[in-house]
Parts: sequence; C-alpha cells; structure tokens
Amino acid sequence: MNLSRRDFLELAAVLGLTATGGDALAKLAKLKPEEIFQFKPVGTVTLLHICDLHAHLKPLYFREPSTLLSHPSLVGEPGFLCGEAYLEYYGIKKGSIRQYFDTAVDFVELAHKYGKMGGVAHMATLVKQIISERGRDKVLFLDSGDTWQGTAVALFTNAKAVVDVQNALGIDVMVGHWEFTYGKDRVMELIDNHLKAEFISQNVLDSMWEERVFKPYTIKEVGGAKIGIIGNSYPYTPIANPKEFIEGWTFGVRMDTLQELVDELKNDKKVDLVVLLSHDGFSLDIALAKKVKGIDILFSGHTHDPAPKPIFVGNTMIVIAGSHGKYVGRLDLEVKGKKITKYNYKLIPVASNFIKPDPQMETLINNHYKPYEKKLNQVIGKTQTLLYKRDTFYSTFDRVISEAIKEETDAEIVFTPGYRWGTTILPEEEITVDNIYEMTAITYPDVYRFEMKGSQLKMILEDIADNVFNENPLYQQGGDMSRLLGMEYEIKITAPMGKRLRNIYVNGKPFDPNRYYVLAAWGGNLHRAGRNAKKFRPVYDIVIDYVKRKKVVAPPLKSNVKVIDINCGCPKKGGICP
Amino acid sequence: MDRRNFLKTMSIAVSVVAVSPTFSKKAHANPDKFQQALMKITGGKTPTPSDKVQLKAPEIAENGAVVPIKVLVNLPVEQVKAIHVFAKDNPNPYVFSIYFTPQNGRAFISTRIKLAKTTVVHALAELNDGSFLEASQKVKVTIGGCG
Repeated sequence: MNLSRRDFLELAAVLGLTATGGDALAKLAKLKPEEIFQFKPVGTVTLLHICDLHAHLKPLYFREPSTLLSHPSLVGEPGFLCGEAYLEYYGIKKGSIRQYFDTAVDFVELAHKYGKMGGVAHMATLVKQIISERGRDKVLFLDSGDTWQGTAVALFTNAKAVVDVQNALGIDVMVGHWEFTYGKDRVMELIDNHLKAEFISQNVLDSMWEERVFKPYTIKEVGGAKIGIIGNSYPYTPIANPKEFIEGWTFGVRMDTLQELVDELKNDKKVDLVVLLSHDGFSLDIALAKKVKGIDILFSGHTHDPAPKPIFVGNTMIVIAGSHGKYVGRLDLEVKGKKITKYNYKLIPVASNFIKPDPQMETLINNHYKPYEKKLNQVIGKTQTLLYKRDTFYSTFDRVISEAIKEETDAEIVFTPGYRWGTTILPEEEITVDNIYEMTAITYPDVYRFEMKGSQLKMILEDIADNVFNENPLYQQGGDMSRLLGMEYEIKITAPMGKRLRNIYVNGKPFDPNRYYVLAAWGGNLHRAGRNAKKFRPVYDIVIDYVKRKKVVAPPLKSNVKVIDINCGCPKKGGICP
Repeated sequence: MDRRNFLKTMSIAVSVVAVSPTFSKKAHANPDKFQQALMKITGGKTPTPSDKVQLKAPEIAENGAVVPIKVLVNLPVEQVKAIHVFAKDNPNPYVFSIYFTPQNGRAFISTRIKLAKTTVVHALAELNDGSFLEASQKVKVTIGGCG
C-alpha cells in the first residue's frame, strides 16, 4: 500500500477520522487496513456471496453505468438504479469509496484516489479473516455464477484457472450461465473432476425427458442451522448464447417446480431456512419472489447490480453482490424457530489498495498467468478517453471494437453485443492484449459479415429492445441493447413492442426498410438470420491489430441513440430525472 | 403470382406487420382469423377464465419451432370433454384439440407446439355441460441478443 499524504487524508475521510494534518497521519499509521471492512457480527450463521466474477482473478478498474434505462415503471428502484439517483436512494456520501465502487459519478477522479478494485487474492484475505473470526462451520460461501468466463486466462485454460481459484477461495455452492459456453462436456468434466463446490440447478433439464441434469438443491448445516439451497441457473441460456453448447438441454425460470422444491425442503426435509441461489437477474428475481412463496433468502446474480441493502418482497430477502470481484456480500443471521430473528448485511467493497493480498492465492493466480504473461502484458496502444463497457445503448470500449470490425469487414453497420461484463481503462493509460480479452474472451469469437433486409434488421432491433425494455421483468433477459456503429436512431422506451425505434439513419442517410444492408456482428446468432454470411477472424485478433495500427484511440463519448421519453441516463422512480 | 399465392403472402404480411402488445380484443393481430377459429370451437360461447385450467408454457421460448406446453384441467375427467389450444398470432391460430374419455384418468396433455412469433397461447377446457373454461399466457418468441 503506497499512500501519499493526500491519500491518507482521503482514507481518513472514508474512515470518519478527523483529517487534521499530523493527527490524522498518526491515527492512520496505527490503523489496520481491514478496519474499513468493519462488520458487526450477528447470530451463528454467515452466508458469503459473490456473483458475476467473470474470471477477474486480478484487480481491475470497472465503472458502473451512467445510463441504465428500462420501462419507467421499473427504473429508479433496485435493478435499474445508477449515478446520482443511486447515491440518493442509498444515501451515499459524495466522494466516498462506496460512490467509487457503485456508480460512474466522478469515476476517473476517484479511480486515481482509490485505485483498482477486486482481485481474488485480495478477496481471499477478507474471506480468511471472516472465517477465522466466525469459524469455518459457521460460514457458507455461495457463488451465483458467471464465474468461469471473461478473461484470457479463463479462456486459455478452458476455465480450469478459475475453478482452481474457486476451490482455494472456498466456494461451497454455485449455479451457472456463461459456464455453459465451454460446452456441456467440459462443464461436466470440471464439475465431476475439479470443482470442489456443488453445482446445483433445478431449472436445467434434458429436453427429451425433462429429467434434471444437476442436483436441484443441497442441504447444509451452518452454525447449527439446517439450510436448504435451491439453484437456478440462467433461464435464458439457450437464447442468449449459442444453443450448440448445450444441445439437448432445456432451461427456463420454472417457477412451478421451484415452488414444489421450496415446499419439499420446508415440509419434508424440515430445513430451518430456504435459500435460492440464482442467476435469474435482479428484477426477474424480484418478480419471482412475488409468485413463489416460502423463500427466506434469495441470492441473485446476472444483472451485475451492486445493492448495499437487501430488499424485501413479502418475507423474502433479496441481495445481489455486483460483479467483476468488486464485492463480497456478507449476510450474518440469527436463526430461531425456523425464522430469521436478526440479520446484518454488508456489500463489502474489495478495495484492493487497502487489503494485503493473500500470498497463497496470489501465487496460485500468478502460476496460472505465467504461461500467457508475455502475450497478455504486451502494450498495444493507449487511450485518450475513458474506455468502459456498461450503459444501455453505447459505450466507448464497444465503439473501439466496432470501429475495428468495420475496418476489417467494410460493413455498413456493426453490431457489438450488449454484454455487461468487460473492463475499464482510464484516460491516458496503456491498452494491453489482456484488456482486449477482458472485453471479448468468449468461446465463439468469430466475426461474421452478412446481408440483411432493412425491414428484418428493424424487426430484430425491436425484438432486442423488447428484451431490454419490457415492462414485465419476466419477459426481460437482463442485458443491454446491442451496440450499433453506422446506425443512429431514436427510441421511445414506453412504446409497444415493434414500435419503439424511429428516425433511423444509416451512415447519415434515412433508413430504407426495402434495401439490403451489409452488417457485421459477433457474439450472437444474428448472422444466421442474414444471407451470404462470411466468417472473419476472432474478434480479439481483429481488435488487437486495430489498436496496434492506431497506437492511440479516442472514441467519442456521445451516444448514437436518442431516448425520447426519459431525459437522463439514471432516472429516479417513474423516470423522473434528478 | 396467382390469386391463391397472393392471398397467402398477404395473410403472412398482415400477421407480421401488426404486432399487438395488449390483450385487448380490439388490438388483435388478425382478429378475424383468431375469432373465427375460436367461434368454430365454442360456437360463440364466451370462455370463462379459470384457475381450474393450468397452462404451463415458457415465458420466453427457447425455440419457436418446438415450444413445450402442458395443460391440466383440475376437474374430474368425467366432466371434461376436450382441451383446445390456440396461438393467437400464429398464421393459423387453431393449434389442436384433444378429446378425453374417463379411461384417460385425468384431463392432461403435454406436447410441443410451433409459434411463429410472440403470441398469447390460449388453452380452453370444453366441459361436458357445454361450457368453456380458459387459461392463457404470453409466450415470447425471440432470436435473443444479450448475454
């Protein structure tokens, strides 16, 4: 930890110390960094939770969205909350480490102050501290999935690096989504031969006989309480990702069988608490908790929301722990007579600069990186503007990727998927090969060029918009709009399906529904709907070469999409702008 | 293009253009075809929405060509004459009918149906007293696009 005097003062402010020159420095000198992570333990049960690590074993910068829009009836509440509206909703102090971790407000400035986030070696220190404080028998560690995919080291080792790290971290139970993109054989091999955690899912079935592929639940004794944990993997895996990886398996939310399992755990297995470990997405889980009765705690994932406080739907407590290893959720419980009588929850920021990394974990991670280090650490260029991934319609790193694909394929319109995983690079910083993989490391990386009739393209965009903006969360897939280069449009979020997009322009000319356009896309199924599809190189190779050629990138910050019915990126409840 | 092919093309075009987001009867994609198909089965009787009819279908279909659905009529099988299924916005909204005898044990069917696009699926139970009960659910058919 190399803190300047200014950092010391800032840290003093975080910790609520009086920042008066030598006095503060003296206090800080005595302070253990762990004290930022103070927590008042409760009862005998500690449930730790991570979600959407996306294979980020090392610390990174990751900026939360400055635009997170959906139907006005959903925005401004947990699930669709960002920026100033988020700070106001949770009562977060300006300039605090919480603001830095949870929002995009003053991101670059705060990044220079607080440094990188996450990193499993840093997380391991926190976890070990909690376990030594509580005792291993009182701690259960849950992982909501999207853990195995998202970085080069995960891709190159077919997820083995991440599984080893999960084992060392002590993950007890997990569910999945992007895990499945390694293909079902590899998934089964890792689960059967390497993963120490139990992989559970009640909603993954053999499509012919509708028999379950995984154990639907597991029962664990934690701190004297009998806890039944049911798993829900991502219900829309076969729609969001290529079907061939999971040929013969069927998914879905499956609320009816979920209800049966909740009842079975309560009535037949006589558990004290029923937990749902899910990768459904935060807003879908909020809707689910209104329909499925008897879940005590729901650990959500998929939509990457940081939520510092639990929300309650009836008697169901719902939490979600952000993404990219930025947080560990800690829930302490006192359980009496099959009821939670006391709880304390904290979404602990893994503030890497203030935590000493666990040496064993650091060695394990470094060993996995070693064979690829030379390739991945190679500096290929520099950025002048902030490169980031999140936001509903447009992001700067996606713009760089789209420009690279446009140069390679000479397409009129380039599609880049609206995934929520990736990385952030600060202005004037170097871009490495590793960074490009952080944005593109998937098992189906090929870029396709193809032709599609305007009317069909419009229909597909309307379809994607309905997956993002449907007012019923059960019909949403929990992602963002595909990013488009070469096309500008206006969107009315509240318009009915098929009528949201208007005033569409392609490279400055009015959109023609009867004309065929040349498109390029990656990371989806789009090319299958087009004609004359031609396969190009993997997206990461295209982008690496592009950045090498350009040396310096400076993508514009302005979005190509104009929203008609909401006037800001982070509205409060009802779509009102702060 | 002969007249028959022309009409065929037209009917598909109509069903693709007019997408209805609401369940109101006014805003049907192809109200005539759906209402006509319904009329053929019900003879003009209005089905009563009922929780005695349980329709299980995915919220979002994994593959529109084979959408798994299950219909259970929670009444003694002796009271149930048939289950009829409609996909409102399919080019041909009538999907199937299945008739029961007491030997069936219970009024239940599990099968897969084809959906052309996002639509409401209607399951009607025709009872032996001549009345109709109904359950319906929207099933979204999408090509996907996010992860």
